[in-house]
Amino acid sequence: MSLIQINKVTKVYDGTAVPVKALNEVDLKIEAGEFTSIVGPSGSGKTTLLNIIGGLDVPSSGSVIVDNVDISTYKPDELVNFRLHHIGFVFQAYNLIPVFTAKENVEFIMLLQGLSKSVREKRAIELLRAVGLGDRVNNRPSELSGGQQQRIAVARALASKPSFVLADEPTANLDSATADSLLDLMENLNKDFNMTFVFSTHDQRVIDRAHRVITLHDGAVEKDEIATL
Amino acid sequence: MILSLAWRNIWRNKRRSLIIIAAIAVGLLCGLFASAVMFGMGDSLINTTIDRDLGHIQIHTKSFEDDKMLTDTIPAAQKILSEIKTQPNVTGASARLIIEGMISSATSSGGVRITGIVPHDEMNVTTIHNKVITGSYFESEETNQIVLGYKLAENLGIRERSRVVLSFQGLDGSIIYGAFRVTGIFRTESTMFDRSTVFIREDNLLTLLDSGPIYHELAVRVNSVQNVDSIYTGLQSSYGYLSVKNWKELAPELKLMDEMMGMMMNIFLGVILFALLFGITNTMLMSVMERVREFGVLMAVGMKRRKVFLMIILETIVLSFFGGVVGIILASITVAYFGIAGIDLSAFAAGLSEFGMDAILYPILPLYFYMSITVMILFTAIFSAVYPAIKAIRLKPATAIRTF
Repeated sequence: MSLIQINKVTKVYDGTAVPVKALNEVDLKIEAGEFTSIVGPSGSGKTTLLNIIGGLDVPSSGSVIVDNVDISTYKPDELVNFRLHHIGFVFQAYNLIPVFTAKENVEFIMLLQGLSKSVREKRAIELLRAVGLGDRVNNRPSELSGGQQQRIAVARALASKPSFVLADEPTANLDSATADSLLDLMENLNKDFNMTFVFSTHDQRVIDRAHRVITLHDGAVEKDEIATL
Repeated sequence: MILSLAWRNIWRNKRRSLIIIAAIAVGLLCGLFASAVMFGMGDSLINTTIDRDLGHIQIHTKSFEDDKMLTDTIPAAQKILSEIKTQPNVTGASARLIIEGMISSATSSGGVRITGIVPHDEMNVTTIHNKVITGSYFESEETNQIVLGYKLAENLGIRERSRVVLSFQGLDGSIIYGAFRVTGIFRTESTMFDRSTVFIREDNLLTLLDSGPIYHELAVRVNSVQNVDSIYTGLQSSYGYLSVKNWKELAPELKLMDEMMGMMMNIFLGVILFALLFGITNTMLMSVMERVREFGVLMAVGMKRRKVFLMIILETIVLSFFGGVVGIILASITVAYFGIAGIDLSAFAAGLSEFGMDAILYPILPLYFYMSITVMILFTAIFSAVYPAIKAIRLKPATAIRTF
């Protein structure tokens, strides 16, 4: 069974005067250990697809099976719990908690999971070392560069020991060198720990590094290519 | 960590938090001080009335209360008086002979209440002796002395050492006249009392009545208001055949005033808390609206809505608690200072004395009031936080994380 299986997923936003069909019967399978980019022009349905895979939104029809669980029928509270234990998120704008230090930001997810303080602290420090920020554990986000903040976001995404990481435009706010460094980090985590990464991106640097590129157009999968490494 | 997060969120915008803390503190300071002034006014009115003539408890015959007849005297009054004087917590008891009569000077006359007293007993019950502004309070052994209010003296055109004539109905229905010399003029907080009350020695009055000891009223003073009820209950059971009343029953207008003061304070505080409620709601709403993306992230990564709700409630409670503590400290200092120094209202003394109040007001606030206001602030804070918190948990994470 695939890690993520999307079956005939349609999403219609009917809050507007004219209902908008953001996804149209999308079928997709993503296996564990993939390093996949979802690409496409604005309005192609990338973000909607990512939201549905991440349990942040529910499809209008079709099913979403993640880790052998059909989350398309989950209630909001069940989805919160599912996200907490199965999915790591990396956002475009880092979205760290500004009043927490780097360590506390990473710890916070584990706190929500109910882990003990000693376990949380140990793992948070290990993860921050793994992303190259072992010396910035007590710094707040405002004291760190964009690249460093995004590394903390990656550490936070991994803190819950998720089944996969969803990264929404993770390099959009970073310069080339920092973006490359971040992609190196994520690629290494993919290789070393077989961590699955699914990106939504416009960034050619991310597309070039992806092992698989899924192109969306008008809410449907236009191309699904395996990169030659 | 939720509490830690709430705490740090409060201080991420120091100026805003300090402004709302100051608003709560100043609001409370004003509310509590105004309440203390009202409490002080009520206390002043009650105490001055009790000190002036009421005492804490009075005993009459049941018929005297209705008809005020000269013949409605308390049987074995002196024995009862001696028994009362020996009771613990009773600091004084005085027997009074009360007759409604007329007073006449060379130029004028008017109706008065003639009170026959034993001066040294009366001094343990009331404070009229401290209110004498001219002359003295039955200090000499001279017979037929009269001590009266300054307003009555003005109306009659008399002064110290003037002679007046009291006329009243005797026990047999005949009219009795007695000449008295003014030896003291008092001025209390109540103009009405000063206009209508005269004191003479009870033995002088008994002589005029040609009667043995008879009394209409026993006034009792207790060492503390807290002990009034226990003594009152004891006297009621001992002398069930008489009418035993405490100050609240004797002066229902004081009780009404006391209750009205309490009601006014509650309304006043209600208004302040209502204003605070909107202030806090507004601040928390701003705080939530500024952090839409952050709440989106928290909920996206797995924070349950009820924890987000709790976090906002905690932020509000902590913020309000600080404002409340500062306000209560400031109020207690202010009330304590003016409670000793007093607030001089002598500019309004004429008006106040019509109400029987002292010109110096001493604000007072009981401890329970501070406690209840603390609880009320906490409830207001929780109530204020509900709307912003609901607003936060209704955010859709997918939309909120993309809000800039």
